[in-house]
Amino acid sequence: MTAIAHFIAITCYIGAAALAATPFARPVGAPVRGVIWILAAGVAAHGAALFAYAASVRQLPLTGLGPSLSFAGFVLAATLLIVEIVARDVSLTLLAAPLAAIVTVCANLVGLVPGIEPPGARGAWLVAHIALSFVGIASFATAAAAGCMYLLERRELKSRRFGAIFRFFPPLATLDRVNHVAAIAAWLGLTLGVVLAVTYAVSYNELSAPKIVWAMGAWVAVSGIALGRVAGGWQARRAAIYSSVSFTAVIVLYVAFRIAETNGGGRFL
Amino acid sequence: MAVIVVGVSHHNAPLDVRERLTFPTRDVAPALERLRRHSGAREGVLLSTCNRTELYLVEGDKDGAAPAWALLSDRLGADASAYGYVRRDREAAAHLFRVASGIDSMVLGEAQIHGQVRDAWETSRQASGAVLNRLFQSALSTSGRVRSETQLGHGALSVSSAAVQLAKKIFGSLAGRRAMVLGAGDVAELALASLRDEGVRAAVVANRTFERAETLAAQYDATAVHYDQAWSALADVDLLLCSTASPHPIVNVARVREAIAKRGDKPLCILDIALPRDVDPDVATLDNVYLYDLDDLKAVVSANLERRQREIPAAEVLIANEVESFWQWTAGLSAVPVLTQLREEMNRVRERELDAAMRRLGNLTPEQRAAVEHFSRSLTNKFLHEPSVRLRAAAANGRGLGVVDTVRYLFALEERDASPPSSTPDEPAATPPTKIT
Repeated sequence: MTAIAHFIAITCYIGAAALAATPFARPVGAPVRGVIWILAAGVAAHGAALFAYAASVRQLPLTGLGPSLSFAGFVLAATLLIVEIVARDVSLTLLAAPLAAIVTVCANLVGLVPGIEPPGARGAWLVAHIALSFVGIASFATAAAAGCMYLLERRELKSRRFGAIFRFFPPLATLDRVNHVAAIAAWLGLTLGVVLAVTYAVSYNELSAPKIVWAMGAWVAVSGIALGRVAGGWQARRAAIYSSVSFTAVIVLYVAFRIAETNGGGRFL
Repeated sequence: MAVIVVGVSHHNAPLDVRERLTFPTRDVAPALERLRRHSGAREGVLLSTCNRTELYLVEGDKDGAAPAWALLSDRLGADASAYGYVRRDREAAAHLFRVASGIDSMVLGEAQIHGQVRDAWETSRQASGAVLNRLFQSALSTSGRVRSETQLGHGALSVSSAAVQLAKKIFGSLAGRRAMVLGAGDVAELALASLRDEGVRAAVVANRTFERAETLAAQYDATAVHYDQAWSALADVDLLLCSTASPHPIVNVARVREAIAKRGDKPLCILDIALPRDVDPDVATLDNVYLYDLDDLKAVVSANLERRQREIPAAEVLIANEVESFWQWTAGLSAVPVLTQLREEMNRVRERELDAAMRRLGNLTPEQRAAVEHFSRSLTNKFLHEPSVRLRAAAANGRGLGVVDTVRYLFALEERDASPPSSTPDEPAATPPTKIT
């Protein structure tokens, strides 16, 4: 059941991205409703997969690399779905849905094996910490995706090429606004997630240096964007570059820590 | 009876011919009345725009083309048929569907023709009937489908709308944005008008002749500034539109750099529609500055036109389906009543002859009477089977209206037909009573 539902979710994410990309093959607008429905089907299947997993192992999908990755993919896709329903624009699907699919594929390749539950894993605070952190990271990914699209479209407009990107990407101002809102949401999610993590770590004496370094790195990156946008008057290109680069750096840092910790026999996130 | 269109359009007729063939609204009803009187047409609609004059007719017993050409030639004062075309039945329907969808327009995919077709139908309502009402209703619905299901009407096809399209690609909506117009000539005025239409909040007009700038600013609720003050005001605007007659660039890198330094990261869109150009091309290298000149705007226009042309096959598929659907309806409208009438008439003849035969045969047993009656029914059905099948096939192939008239004539059905048949269930409710008999 879990594998089949994951497979359906991955197929839906890829299908939604392919449908959103139709304007590049044929000069028609992307079918907004179709993309949103396929994405919603994917999110529903993914939710069902995670629910089935949690029911079978009697543990939330928040420990162990595979389940965590799957949960991250789910949160990313769900955030994307909400953003697209609100904005009635599906161009973000082009980048974010494949990302969710890749994360989910990786989760299944690694294997959906539960990790060792940390002390207090079933407490509400830890669950809230993990959920908020995932929301923060998903919003960060959305900001980065909007930033990448901004940079691509800006390049087209500056070089006066009026191809598919010019026609079907939303205006620069819209991408800039999505980047702004997503960066603020990411900062809120990660800040609350970090505060809860600190409370938890102190309470259970669960201090892990790599975790702290990575979490603080991600929080500093997001805070940099949020501060730049709110107080520094950052708009447009600077915020787009910063969010894309910093999100990539956070992901690279995560992978590096994960590999190092796995080789060392530890358990990093 | 057939649907026919007789007309001239921009494809073959020069402007002076089209001008003389234009029918103002007040002339439409008399023209159609005259045409129906001379041609015996059952229904008529006259479509008259600056690019075409077309008469859509449902023919009666006579050919409708010759009287239609006579009407148009009278108006032109010369032989109008030399510039025009005649289409019949399916081709006539397909032609109207293409016209309403903008495929036959001078500016491919333009939206105005949809309203013009609707107005022509409304103006001709007195002379139109079930068939033309259905035809025009289908044409308008097809036009709506073509516009929503293809990109035929998408993308700007004029320089000013391309300028707006480019600016919107940067800012999204232009509502509430600030714009500055350099120059106060006709082009600047047009640009200012379209910017105001898009909701630009504040516009500044700068011109070497301050009085001219003031006049233009007053017309469009904008602010006039002296030419020398324009550069300090540049830091506050999102959109700069240049259309002066200056022989050399007046907007240079230093001036724009100074302005954008005060704007933080906010983008500045510069549209240079002057010839020779008003803006130094190097301005485009500045960060957050998007500079477009006439060549860029023309590139946008030609890219849009190319895309519209690529949409024609998709639109034609839609039109073909809708023509088929209309023709099926027409076939049903024309074939079903005449088949019913023919069958009723044959039954009357059969019953009359059967009664006579029974009287001549004298006393028959009930079984014998039943056998004779069965024989008469069977014979009538056999005789009617092939004509029925062929009439339906002819109707479905688009020849139904003519064949129906032939059947009516051969079997003298029109003489017995006192009242018009009731409308088919999917006939538009608001249409006048049908004259199809």
